[in-house]
Amino acid sequence: MISLRRVWTVAERDIKMFLRYKFLLIMRAIWFVAQIALFGLVVNQMFRQDVQNAVGGSYFNYYTAGIIITMLYSTAVFIGYDIYEEADHGVIEYLLSVPVSRKELVLGRSIGGGLRSFLYVGPMMLFVLYIIGVSNVLQLLAAMSSLFLFTFGVAGFSITVAVSIKSSDRFDILMGVTDALIVRLSTTLYPVAYMPPYYKGLASVNPLSFAADLFRWGAGLESAALTPPLLATFGIVAFFSLFTFLGIVLHERRLEGGGWQ
Amino acid sequence: MAPIIQIVKLTKKFGNFTAVDHLNLEVEEGEILGILGPNGAGKTTTLLMLTTVIKPTEGTALIGPYDVTREPDKARTLIGMAFQEPKLLWVDAPWDILNWHAKVCGLSAEERKKKVRWVLEELELWNDRFKSVHTFSGGMRKRVEIAKILIQRPKIAIVDEPTAQIDIVGKHRIWNMLRDLREEGSTILLATNELYEADVLSDRVAIMHRGKLLVCDEPKKLKDNIPGGDVVEITLDKAVPKETIEKLKEIRRVVNVSAIKEDYLKIYLNNAEEVLPKITEFFMEAHIPIKSIRMSEPSLDDVFAHYTGLTIEEAQRE
Repeated sequence: MISLRRVWTVAERDIKMFLRYKFLLIMRAIWFVAQIALFGLVVNQMFRQDVQNAVGGSYFNYYTAGIIITMLYSTAVFIGYDIYEEADHGVIEYLLSVPVSRKELVLGRSIGGGLRSFLYVGPMMLFVLYIIGVSNVLQLLAAMSSLFLFTFGVAGFSITVAVSIKSSDRFDILMGVTDALIVRLSTTLYPVAYMPPYYKGLASVNPLSFAADLFRWGAGLESAALTPPLLATFGIVAFFSLFTFLGIVLHERRLEGGGWQ
Repeated sequence: MAPIIQIVKLTKKFGNFTAVDHLNLEVEEGEILGILGPNGAGKTTTLLMLTTVIKPTEGTALIGPYDVTREPDKARTLIGMAFQEPKLLWVDAPWDILNWHAKVCGLSAEERKKKVRWVLEELELWNDRFKSVHTFSGGMRKRVEIAKILIQRPKIAIVDEPTAQIDIVGKHRIWNMLRDLREEGSTILLATNELYEADVLSDRVAIMHRGKLLVCDEPKKLKDNIPGGDVVEITLDKAVPKETIEKLKEIRRVVNVSAIKEDYLKIYLNNAEEVLPKITEFFMEAHIPIKSIRMSEPSLDDVFAHYTGLTIEEAQRE
């Protein structure tokens, strides 16, 4: 029987912990500003009108919405790095010894990892929504609830990878490569209309594409979306379920103290 | 009454290395069981298996009615552990660590506030409660670790070298707090390589070496069971004839007599408290007045040496 109180207690710990990494938070915020105010604006000037039309009228709007999704992804992934920090100090053993089931631990960490990413990116998201101009609040709220699940799924994915490989160096490299592939093979930064067919195939099953499409749909940029909202929501639910399930299985069957590199 | 912990053929292998080798042990409810052994004896690995942090390769343990391999979640509800190395992140502060621990153990907000304050004051950490543990000494970190158990007050408290790096006053304070914990109904498993700590705190001591349990009994019985473990040194008023020494050896429980000088004997025996009156009577009857008597008991180190052929220090080096 899963106790929501215990799940929340675990999640709360991860949220508080994240807020202590002030340096990281400031640097990520600077990165966001640089992406929007420098890269986004300049690249937007480079695109012809037909390109702008293909992304719903403004590449800048398309791009800023995509950057929000990459921010959500990269901050939710951070929970995996937390796990290595904890393994380094033996805190993993401590967490495995407290009266919380492995299911509650994984769920709590996925929710905590996702929620903190949402809380952190929240103000930037509001800023981007202000720039784009939201036309339908209900549509936006529907998209947001799916994005919550998306961040929980990303955190679950990061936890699953972290406890599977138990090596911080490998994790770091793997997440770098994954980030490069998963972001670039998605519709976060460029529209599907300009992708080669084989890229398009991969982008159409990429959870980042689902999240980016849903966010744009919620913000009223639906003409630029690759996947219909319902299908994108389904994709995100499947992504979240898969990695939460894998995380639970790994924690229950394989995870034990020691052996971290 | 059934033991609160039943360890059955518990084994843990890391590759070819057997850290714990078919361990069988029972722990009675309400006792303090000391697990004594050098580093690498398998104490911590055993405790980590009991807390379900690591999984046994073979065998199992029952924590109350719960099998650690089949019902680890339920087993953990009865257990609290203070680890050998404090498990703290550098950004943590004692107040947050203990508050979260109390919360995850199910204490209400009011109880948390009260107990966290109490334990921080008792362990002299109150003034540093919001400081990062990064700035703490080893002893302070260790106190934060032990505080978790003192707040949780679990049915079974597992403490791994609770007073390592702590000064002597702090050691006594923690020992008293562990005794209080036991008085309130907790069973305590104490892993240590400090002989004195095991001796003064434990109702029974289990001695481990190279992953195996060598012996488990009350400290006094363990010491008494070493043949000739007690030593009585006697200085006499005059030289002792050889035939008197031979007769002295015939007294029950006297194992050996060594004449260091003509008037100074070292008598190796068991149960010195019982035999000593007989020895004094023996010399009175032999008209050899006793000038002084000095009695020394064997230590748990002697017990360890008896079973392994090594002192704890030698075993650590090994």
